[in-house]
Amino acid sequence: MVNITTKNLTKKYGNTIAVKDLNLQIKDKEFFVFLGPSGCGKTTTLFAIAGLIKIDAGEIWIGDELVSSAEKGIHKAPQERGIAMVFQDYAIYPHMTVFDNMAFPLTISKVKKDEIEARVKKTAELLGISHLLNRKPRQLSGGQRQRVALGRAMVRRPKVFLMDEPLANLDAKLRVQTRTELKKLQLDIGVTTIYVTHDQVEAMTMADRIMVQKDGVTEQIGTPDELYNHPSNLFVAGFLGSPEMNFINCTLVEDEKRLCLDAKEFKIFLPAKMPSELKNYIGAEVIMGIRPEDLYESKSARGPAQENAVRVTLDLVEPVGPYLLLHSKAGKIPLVATVKDTKAKMGQEVIMEMTPDKIHIFDKKTTKSII
Amino acid sequence: MGGKGLRFPKPRRIILYVLLIVFVFLFLLPLWTDFTTSFKNIHDIIYTVPVELPLSPTIEPLITAFNLMERPLLNSLTFTVVAMILSCLLGSINGYILTKIKFRGSNTVFLLFSIGIFIPYQAVLVPLVLTISQLGLYNTLGGLILTHTAYGITITTLLFRNFYGLLPDSLIMAAKVDGAGTWTIYRRIILPLSLLPFVVAAVFQFTSIWNDFLFGVVLARGSEAMPASVALANLKGTTAFNYNVQMAGALWYALPVLIIYLVLGKYLIRGYMAGAIKG
Repeated sequence: MVNITTKNLTKKYGNTIAVKDLNLQIKDKEFFVFLGPSGCGKTTTLFAIAGLIKIDAGEIWIGDELVSSAEKGIHKAPQERGIAMVFQDYAIYPHMTVFDNMAFPLTISKVKKDEIEARVKKTAELLGISHLLNRKPRQLSGGQRQRVALGRAMVRRPKVFLMDEPLANLDAKLRVQTRTELKKLQLDIGVTTIYVTHDQVEAMTMADRIMVQKDGVTEQIGTPDELYNHPSNLFVAGFLGSPEMNFINCTLVEDEKRLCLDAKEFKIFLPAKMPSELKNYIGAEVIMGIRPEDLYESKSARGPAQENAVRVTLDLVEPVGPYLLLHSKAGKIPLVATVKDTKAKMGQEVIMEMTPDKIHIFDKKTTKSII
Repeated sequence: MGGKGLRFPKPRRIILYVLLIVFVFLFLLPLWTDFTTSFKNIHDIIYTVPVELPLSPTIEPLITAFNLMERPLLNSLTFTVVAMILSCLLGSINGYILTKIKFRGSNTVFLLFSIGIFIPYQAVLVPLVLTISQLGLYNTLGGLILTHTAYGITITTLLFRNFYGLLPDSLIMAAKVDGAGTWTIYRRIILPLSLLPFVVAAVFQFTSIWNDFLFGVVLARGSEAMPASVALANLKGTTAFNYNVQMAGALWYALPVLIIYLVLGKYLIRGYMAGAIKG
């Protein structure tokens, strides 16, 4: 059972706190993603778990072993943690052949020659690089180098896979392909994996669970579905989903016993069933969030007078292929919608509606989600 | 004019080439004089212009010079090669530690090394002589080796540090995760990737140690350990007109460095132009 736990993990660089008080529980065989913008602390956390950097406070457990403890002065070297790593630039040894690269960790551990050969060959076959064993890295393509890096990690049969943005240097098409292969591989091998990325699509498609970080602080931990449909704060809501969720400043008012969001340019009436906490915000400024795919062109003939309709002027239509991006403005408020098709032209006025139970409301001061 | 591929060069090109040829000529002139004079007898020295070929060429001067310089040449070769190897190895290790094993104060240490490059030989002469003689290494090859190694470490450390700074840190991290310790990383990852800086450092060191006169004359003049640079200087003053022996001596003296540059020149240029290591 290889689960990974951190307790109050903190890492500082001078006066900057790179990771603050992180409490994390990763389950056995889980594909866990650290997601966040550059500088959020995800790579630092990864390196701390790997044992490449020492921590300033807290503990790290891999399986049943305490591998790092700032208070007790424990720090196990990376090779004693049973981990293997794939780096963003692959970090394969340029002067060694593919075979020697993959064999390197085994030769250091003084594994017998025939076993090294057997293991390397088997892993190479699994990754489809058997024909490259005698080549040097400079003769390989980016995708091939990445497989060598992966092979070098797999050959050690580690307890944990740690990956630091391994797809970042691949071209777009290869990235999508390799993404699927990696996920399938992890399911086959069944090794607990931590995957660091800033790409939310990668996180959504590959992860069992995601941790979103910002400036060293954990914003939310949950499954892709939880994070996407129930973001706990403004940052997570805006980070996941492309194009980004529409955020509109408005005031929560009570209009004839019904709650509605008043954005000056338009009013959105909320459905009757709302959590009671919402009542505390009547009269307060809040931020409404609605995803582009939950905005659509009004089909009913009722016209702009109906409730929950927003009159917008179409600024730009971007064809993406399977759908269209409509960039519009309701007065000064920008709104982006994802629709399948539209007959409207740029500059035209369109009536948009939104799915009521997909509306998110955020507290303006704390940025936390209310519903 | 020839076929399609041939075009008359632009005037700017012609001027450039002419200038280059002039400079080549100027630079090679001393070497040419050296060469011609080494084969002249006394009569030719007096009656010919230096750049002229000898009227009756002879290898006498070369033999005489060699006999006078045989031992010093061997000395120079010995201590130059040993000091070169030692200073390069130590510079490499220093460069590795300073860039990849970041310890507290490593920047200060590097600063001190860099300052060492600029210390003029003359400034340290007196303490140097005192130290060397106290160590019992005065007038010995060992003293010269020690001195040149110590002095060379400053520049070799700089060279290797700059080169290793270009190696991605992830390479070292990957090796650590693979289980390699500090020395294993040095032996199996860093060293194999260091051919270019070694060549550059080695050629630089060989040239500067071989050409050194000051340390040689202060630490080993008139002894069995006398370097070739000193011996060459001593060729002056035996007779009034023995330019031919002096020139021959200079020719012998220049030979090893010339050979090194001819053999390793290609690597040297590659080393100077080396940016990041790819692939």
